[in-house]
Amino acid sequence: MKAVIRNTTVADRLLFIFLIAASVAGIFISREAMPKGSDVIIEIGGKTAYTFALDTDRTFSVPGPLGVTIVEIKGRKVRVKEAHCHNRLCEKQGWVARGAIVCLPNRVVISVGGKADNTPKGIDAITG
Amino acid sequence: MKTKVFLLFFIFLLALPLSCGKGRPSIYKKTKPFMDTLVTITVVAGSDEQANRTIDKAFSVIEQFGDKINFFSDKSELSAINRNAGATPVKVSPDTLGVIERALYISEKSNGAFDPTIGPEMNMWDFFKKIRPSDTAIKKKLSLINYRDIIVDHDRSTVLLRRKGMLMDLGGIAKGYAADLALANLKQNGIGAGIVAAAGDIRAFGLKPDGTLWNIGIKNPRQQSEADELIAKASLTNKAISTSGDYERYFIEDGRRYHHILDPKTGYPAGRCRSVTVISDSGIFADGFSTAVFVSGPEKGMELVREAGSDAVIIDKDGVIHTTPAVKGMVTFESGH
Amino acid sequence: MQLQDKYRIAVLSAYALALHGIETLVPTPIPWMRLGLANIVTLVALVLYGFRTAMTVTLIRVILASLFTGTFLGPSFVLSFGGGVTSTAAMGLTFLVFRDMFGPVGLSLVGAFFHNAAQLTLAYFLFIQRIEAMFVIGPVILLIGTLTGVANGAVSGLLIKNLLKKEGAKIQNDNEDAEPAQ
Repeated sequence: MKAVIRNTTVADRLLFIFLIAASVAGIFISREAMPKGSDVIIEIGGKTAYTFALDTDRTFSVPGPLGVTIVEIKGRKVRVKEAHCHNRLCEKQGWVARGAIVCLPNRVVISVGGKADNTPKGIDAITG
Repeated sequence: MKTKVFLLFFIFLLALPLSCGKGRPSIYKKTKPFMDTLVTITVVAGSDEQANRTIDKAFSVIEQFGDKINFFSDKSELSAINRNAGATPVKVSPDTLGVIERALYISEKSNGAFDPTIGPEMNMWDFFKKIRPSDTAIKKKLSLINYRDIIVDHDRSTVLLRRKGMLMDLGGIAKGYAADLALANLKQNGIGAGIVAAAGDIRAFGLKPDGTLWNIGIKNPRQQSEADELIAKASLTNKAISTSGDYERYFIEDGRRYHHILDPKTGYPAGRCRSVTVISDSGIFADGFSTAVFVSGPEKGMELVREAGSDAVIIDKDGVIHTTPAVKGMVTFESGH
Repeated sequence: MQLQDKYRIAVLSAYALALHGIETLVPTPIPWMRLGLANIVTLVALVLYGFRTAMTVTLIRVILASLFTGTFLGPSFVLSFGGGVTSTAAMGLTFLVFRDMFGPVGLSLVGAFFHNAAQLTLAYFLFIQRIEAMFVIGPVILLIGTLTGVANGAVSGLLIKNLLKKEGAKIQNDNEDAEPAQ
């Protein structure tokens, strides 16, 4: 380890620290800055295929070129329960309350966002 | 050395925006099925965690209450009462006693337009399979419908149905009571604003984060398309709002509409109104009352509402809208109505 | 020298492909953990043999790898190609302009950064139009890339040193051999 550090230049070290700081900060900022959504939007191949309300618990399957991806919404969070892609990246992301989960091989993008939900715009509840 | 200090400062600057964003109150919503319908609880909270925690607690209160008055479950207190009709009084828990007493109060005030002993008649209808009883069957069971035959002993906390074959159905009033329980629970746990909506029975309290009132849509009883869904929008808070309509559970046969709000005096679906929305300060006057007003019709119903010091929107069988004066300040009607 | 160049390129490409192949076999605990081992070859080639050699090796590696896996011209090829070319170009430029400022670790970091940035950008425009997804995985990928970049850079540095020693010894030997008897 010490040998490695000795073999680096000042510029090397500065660049390293800068990149680490920037990416860590980026992680925190993106997590906070993501719009709080009330919608789960599922896109297949770039086209919006399904929209679900984030506040209603449900489990459903999303068809894709590599097979069926099972998505679960629970407790205002969404996750990929089961996917058939190579690296299972999407599954490993766990529960997501903001931002998105991407399954690149399957061309499936699950994002949380938007204000529209089951009730029409501007309405908080419906009686009748 | 200087560069290292600069870098640390830079990282610190990046970290600043993280401290904002937490603690700003926003609206959270959650929906779960209970009591044969979907219950949605909306709260204004400072975090996901607070919202989830308080909403889940309120949900469990609703669940426990729902189990006690479940008409279709043998284990419920209500079923115990029904099984022992014409036999022995049944001891019940405070909430069950409370909702039954509330039902009795509304029955008295409405002269029987609302009557929880409607069970035997309700049982003969199936709105999903489109089954309706014969006229003879309906007439036969009418004698079992009489709220005065519910004997409540408040001190002993018991309820007795006087005659064998009587069945109590609290469906017309249970959701509102559950909403009240949930509301109290949310307030107890520190929530200052929100909505509890058990299907159409709604309780709204507090103000939204931007300081405005809650917007509650009123369904159009003769909705033709998606654009037509609402007939009016009510802006209010700290009120109970409840609707009874002939479009919730129904089927049409030979041009006639058969729906689930039966007139306790005739055993047939009440036909004087299409929908009634009652807006009240107290939950007690909202749900059971909307049923009572629905059955009573526009004139008698309006009287009931006025006596109770509440407000209402009544859409009668011809589609004509009747309102109490104060409604003008609370409700805006969609164009065309 | 032409022949020696071609020979070198062939050998380097072979190493690059081999490393690429090995790296796909290694199970990674963390998702998105691409070790980028083939970049070691690119970097070493750049420092020892120049930009042209490095770029050629990269191109050969990317194209052959995709042909072997049957993904030629497919989405993963596009990402691989874009990432590889951009990072090699960036490293080359940095090496050219800032030759003495950065060591192999710094160059590797530059390469890793541009490789990931290029791939994220391509992925956004071609596959995932949702910018939110980019904001979420972007920083994570950059972080992991930075860490693997350091490791690769260190390995590259060692290799360069060793190879220089060998070359130096070889040149010495050559000189010794070439020295005719007085």
